[in-house]
Amino acid sequence: MRALLATARGALQEAGANRAALSWQMAVMVVNDVVWIVFWALFFDRVGELNGWDLQGLILLNAVLTTAGGITLGLLADARRIGALVVEGGLDPVLALPVPTLPHLLVRRVMPTNLGDLAFGVTLFAVAGDPTPGRTAVFVLVTLTATVLLTAFLVLIGSLAFFVGRSETGEIGFHAMLLLAAYPADLFGGGARLLLYTVIPAAFVTTVPVRLVNDFDLADAALLLTVSGVAALAALATFQRGLRRYTSGAVWTQA
Amino acid sequence: MGIEVRDLTRTFTVGRRARRRTVEAVRGISLSVAPGERVAFLGPNGAGKSTTIKILTGILHPTSGDATVLGIVPWEERRRLARRIGTLFGQRSLLWSELSPRQSYRMLAAVYGLDGASEARRVAELADLLEAGDLFDQPVRTLSLGQRMRCELAACLLHDPEVVFLDEPTIGLDLLAKQRFREMVVRLNEDQGTTVLLTSHDVADVEHVAERAIVVNHGAVIYDDAVAVMRRALLATKVVEVGLAAPVPVPDLPGVTVLDHSEQSLRLVVDTRVTPVRRVLDALLAGPAVVDVSVVDPPLEQVIAEIYERPAS
Amino acid sequence: MSAVVATVPADSRWRDLRAMAAALRTSAGQAWAERGSLAVALLFYVVVVSALSGVWRAAATNGGGSIAGYSAIALTWYIATSEAAVMSVSQRLIEDTGRDVADGEVAIEMLRPTSVLGLRVAAELGRSLVRLTGIIPVGLVLAVVVAGAPPRPAALVLAVPSLLLAVTTNVTAQHAFAGTAFWIRHVGAAWFLYLKLVFVLGGMLLPLEVLPDGVAAVARLLPFQAMAYAPARLAAGHLEPWLLLGQVAWLAVAVLVARAVFRAGERRLQETGG
Repeated sequence: MRALLATARGALQEAGANRAALSWQMAVMVVNDVVWIVFWALFFDRVGELNGWDLQGLILLNAVLTTAGGITLGLLADARRIGALVVEGGLDPVLALPVPTLPHLLVRRVMPTNLGDLAFGVTLFAVAGDPTPGRTAVFVLVTLTATVLLTAFLVLIGSLAFFVGRSETGEIGFHAMLLLAAYPADLFGGGARLLLYTVIPAAFVTTVPVRLVNDFDLADAALLLTVSGVAALAALATFQRGLRRYTSGAVWTQA
Repeated sequence: MGIEVRDLTRTFTVGRRARRRTVEAVRGISLSVAPGERVAFLGPNGAGKSTTIKILTGILHPTSGDATVLGIVPWEERRRLARRIGTLFGQRSLLWSELSPRQSYRMLAAVYGLDGASEARRVAELADLLEAGDLFDQPVRTLSLGQRMRCELAACLLHDPEVVFLDEPTIGLDLLAKQRFREMVVRLNEDQGTTVLLTSHDVADVEHVAERAIVVNHGAVIYDDAVAVMRRALLATKVVEVGLAAPVPVPDLPGVTVLDHSEQSLRLVVDTRVTPVRRVLDALLAGPAVVDVSVVDPPLEQVIAEIYERPAS
Repeated sequence: MSAVVATVPADSRWRDLRAMAAALRTSAGQAWAERGSLAVALLFYVVVVSALSGVWRAAATNGGGSIAGYSAIALTWYIATSEAAVMSVSQRLIEDTGRDVADGEVAIEMLRPTSVLGLRVAAELGRSLVRLTGIIPVGLVLAVVVAGAPPRPAALVLAVPSLLLAVTTNVTAQHAFAGTAFWIRHVGAAWFLYLKLVFVLGGMLLPLEVLPDGVAAVARLLPFQAMAYAPARLAAGHLEPWLLLGQVAWLAVAVLVARAVFRAGERRLQETGG
């Protein structure tokens, strides 16, 4: 645990070393995120409420998405690089250390750009999300489950590299997930909505969390926790299995 | 307890479906490194060096055979072994580039479970040993490659490992930096008794660092002896080169091997334990065709290259 | 040096054009060879258009059949086209071009006797056109399947040359933007800003008619609408051929500005030594 914290701290220091560049990169991401809020503001100004969703709902949705995305892509930056690391032999330096491989891998790199998303998401909720103590507690909870879900998805995709080599399709799947999570699932028709709750579970990243913040429901919360938990376990198991395969030499790398 | 390897084998299946084939990266390697030894591990690319190192550091399982490092079977207890060995791969950095080495050491100390006092003591010790104290507080990216490698060496030694694996650590360093690095490694070994296994392509690494050289090629050990013995074999050979005005036949003498034979020149390796150089020269100079003569000690590269050509013993 | 540039002989201009044509053909061939990444781009296009148009369709259905004068079907055709216009162009264009300028890559290219800007624009156009050629049929099928027949086929036909103009203007304008890297180092990050302007004020995410009146008026005057709104408006069934004239005008402006920026940049390189 101490090792993990020290590594994470080092990664943060490394990312923050060049203050000017960090601020610039973060600012750019914030502008990017703001534009989406502007879009939805314009949209709902014209459209009014839609299937139970309004600007307030989309603000919450974006707060969850950018915060969770910021943590996954910003603080756990190597999660998205697992596939490439496996194929290029980049796991070996981690394997040479007396640490559990996956946790160390996840915390050892911080991506400055995505920290902007994180800052934006938290600020957005604080400023426009009506942060009562109750809502804030739920916001923290659902953001964590969303992070777990996103990270698990990335780890799972990356772990496929142990079995079938680098998977570009998987990376596309992740981007598709992020894209679809930017929209409330309730705005879509039956078939598409089902898709968002199953194959590409984007609904559990944003739609269900927002519902919980606005109207906490134990059953929904339990479902969300279960989905995230299952995803995490699946990701862990796949990675471990893949790592066993890797060390037994069944994976030919470029190293 | 050092490194013990017996009949290590590692095969890989490469390619898909129709183009599937088996690659024998390591074929029955046996070797032994005593505690406190400095051993060079040589071989051309694809010889099986990195595969062997991966097995010894626990990253890879062998297909068959045994190995222990410090009495531990590497692939069975990778993390337990990792606490007692150090690894320095020339191409991969242990340090963060924007931070100072000292800051990276703090992270590594936590990884290896060193408390604050031990860390401070060890860093000071290494600063002294590697003459790098003034480097520890500058951002790594501001250091020259030679300076950086010294800090990397310190990083892999932070937890006071009993065995260090150095993989091509002098690549890209200028002559002076290489020399300094080698001195540090020798000093480390003599001062602290750390066992050193150095993988290298650079013959000078062998000459100045190693006490023993193990040469592998095509997955098998083809030479394993003290560097001093290698050098003695070297002293026993001479390279004779003659420039010619007209073609001459190769002297039919024992202990003479042809390196190069053209219309204008002839290069021979002479094992002087079998045939003295004088006799070879007499044979060559008998005719009028020789216009130039030189007799030199073969470079160590030559000796090692020759060894590469040998089949597994 | 500027005197030499101003009086380029006719045959040298002809050589420039031929070089540009060759660059276009080569990069198009390469983009076609990398069909894998083209397939990825198409997949993303389908996902984005499906989601975004789905949202607009829901809005129209809920809003009594139309939003800002666009029916659900019209909105689908609008989004399919606006996204086609923007997604055909590399997202990293400004960043990559800006980096090449800052790193001196362009400085080296300027040693050649042909127009650096022309070659780069032509090469990027080659890539973009290949992507557009892939997107158009996919977009057509998607819009028909998801919404229905195009509201006004005649207008849809005009949308094709409009798309070409949109892409060309976009590529040229991005090069003009990237050319500021001759003076400022970190132009790469600013591409975000540019793209976002196209998204909202260019009418990619929403028809300009949805914007509040004041903002919409400003947006119509800006070049970004030529890069997304124009072809989308046509495809949505509004037979307004003057949109194409506006695009031509903006293309001309983009070309002039880009050339001026690159010429000034080249002069600066010569003064400061690159």
